[in-house]
Amino acid sequence: MTFFPWKRALRSPTVWISLAVMLTFGLIAGLAPLIAPHDPYTGSITQPRLPPMWVQGVSHPGIPDYPLGTDRYGRDILSRLIFGTRTAFFLALTAVPLTALIGTFIGLIAGYIGGRFDAWIMMFTDMIQSLPGIMFVVIIVLIFRSLLTPTWFHGLVTLVVGFAAINWVNLARLIRINVLQIKHNSFIEAATAMGASPWRIITHHLLPNVLHVIMIWIINNIPAVILLEALLGYIGVGLTSAGDGGEFTVVSWGGIFFSGRSAINSNPLMLIIPSLCILLISMSFILLGDFLNGITHPDQGTE
Amino acid sequence: MSQFLLRKFFHVTGILLGVTLITFLLMHAIPGNPWSNYSSSPRALLNLGIDKSLQQNLNHRFGFDLPLWRQFTRYIIGDFEDDGSFFCGAVCGNLGPSIQQQGRGVSDVLFSPPEGKTFRESRFGYSIRLVLFGSLIAVGVGIPLGVLSATKPKGTRNRISVGLAALISIPNFVLGLLAIIVLATGLHIIKVLPNWNLPGSWVVPAIVLAIMPLANIARVTQSTLLNITHEDYVRTARAKGLTQLRVMLVHVMRNAIVPIITYLGPTLMEMFTGLLIVENLFSFPGFGQEYWRAVLNLDYPLIMGLTLIYATGIVLVNVLIEMLSEILDPRIRANKIQGLQR
Repeated sequence: MTFFPWKRALRSPTVWISLAVMLTFGLIAGLAPLIAPHDPYTGSITQPRLPPMWVQGVSHPGIPDYPLGTDRYGRDILSRLIFGTRTAFFLALTAVPLTALIGTFIGLIAGYIGGRFDAWIMMFTDMIQSLPGIMFVVIIVLIFRSLLTPTWFHGLVTLVVGFAAINWVNLARLIRINVLQIKHNSFIEAATAMGASPWRIITHHLLPNVLHVIMIWIINNIPAVILLEALLGYIGVGLTSAGDGGEFTVVSWGGIFFSGRSAINSNPLMLIIPSLCILLISMSFILLGDFLNGITHPDQGTE
Repeated sequence: MSQFLLRKFFHVTGILLGVTLITFLLMHAIPGNPWSNYSSSPRALLNLGIDKSLQQNLNHRFGFDLPLWRQFTRYIIGDFEDDGSFFCGAVCGNLGPSIQQQGRGVSDVLFSPPEGKTFRESRFGYSIRLVLFGSLIAVGVGIPLGVLSATKPKGTRNRISVGLAALISIPNFVLGLLAIIVLATGLHIIKVLPNWNLPGSWVVPAIVLAIMPLANIARVTQSTLLNITHEDYVRTARAKGLTQLRVMLVHVMRNAIVPIITYLGPTLMEMFTGLLIVENLFSFPGFGQEYWRAVLNLDYPLIMGLTLIYATGIVLVNVLIEMLSEILDPRIRANKIQGLQR
């Protein structure tokens, strides 16, 4: 078991706040069907564009049945926000680990083998880094959306693929540089001398030494994928999924924000709350990442 | 030096070729064609479609009836016209005709200004100026902010870190939209559709563009400086009785500048990506807007041209940063010379 300064972590308010925010959002995501007051997909046609419940004395007052009001199809915004948390968590828990897996694998192998293979891989990563990132996620989403058969999650899978296709590059480069530094240590030489196979050296000697890099990269990139999803919603290449009623858009914070642009006068909460959710969750991940980074660089003390 | 430049030149050409190939393949994998795409024209929306023979003519005109590899070589090297005359492709700077903007070439769309204006008023000129403005803000505020927070005691520093984390977490489209709502609709300080000839109307887009890179640069500056202030030679310098200013400028900054400059590369790339969104938000007349339209309308030559320009920009920035860090840090130069002799 590696060393982890539990005492320091437990005494730091940043860690507590970050964990509390994540746990709250996690619970909301997990219990979404239980706590959401309405179905997020079906709206009541008689109640479109309701303001929040505390807006009274206008021609079109809010009612307690829909605490945060409804969108233009009469769908409950609170329920959509709650289900949007699910989308965000789904993306964070699938896209980032998948990307980390690809990046780690390629980075380790390129760093360990070195030579011409390494040079080609680096050339390839240079190419991917020179592409405009969002544009290529959009293109990949457009391609994969037509390839996959429509299921309830195929829109999300396309985003996962798009994110992974662009972002593995950063981690691979990071890990390669770390491996290049570690590779010349005598414990690697010792392992080689004892007849360890390259695979064993990579998995048993190199991987544990770059594990902290991977951890911090994952934590720092979870906000990135949530932002990316919101961004696609903003661009209008919303993620679709299909149910028994044909294709529809995945409920997500970005989607709510996007549709909130046209409801800015009647219900500005549609813009504010999704942005706040995104802000809170990315901040908690970034601050937690800062804390973990502080552990690996104890002298900086930025916790 | 000439050997270095030659090697860099080959590297850059290789990367640009790879980028064009990747873009070409991906772009042709998008379902649909320029004539039938859902958002291309009111015609397609009304489900009118295009006449079969007309479509064939158009395909032949733009070379889409050729096999895919021929289309690629046609774009890169060039091809023969029907009458046997040869036209040169992207290697000669001919980026081809735009499909959606009838009668205009891609380079015409990007580089030629409206009539009677200078080059600065072209789409490319607008975008480049916005990026320059934004990077000036990001570097000019980010680095001093990082230095400032590194010299402060721990409590203040932590508060600054939290603020920076908040700045990173706000998506730039949220920030831009808030800026428009608050400053334009609410306070009437800026116009929703400003006159881009006035320098004042550039401030808000540039700040929105610069916020995230600014916070990133400040964070990196802060952590790099903190790393270095714990080095032995800084302690020695302090023990010798040098003033704080001299320690910071000569011993700390000199060593911190290279990691910070290396980090500027990815940050400026982020800025190029942000450009695509900020231009869309503020309806800024740069090439970012063209980019969205090109992708959603499947304007193949325009996508290729834009990606090529974008990639060239990023690659050149990277080469520049590499050269700069070599000039600033003698150790990297020494390593390189050793590497060449070995």
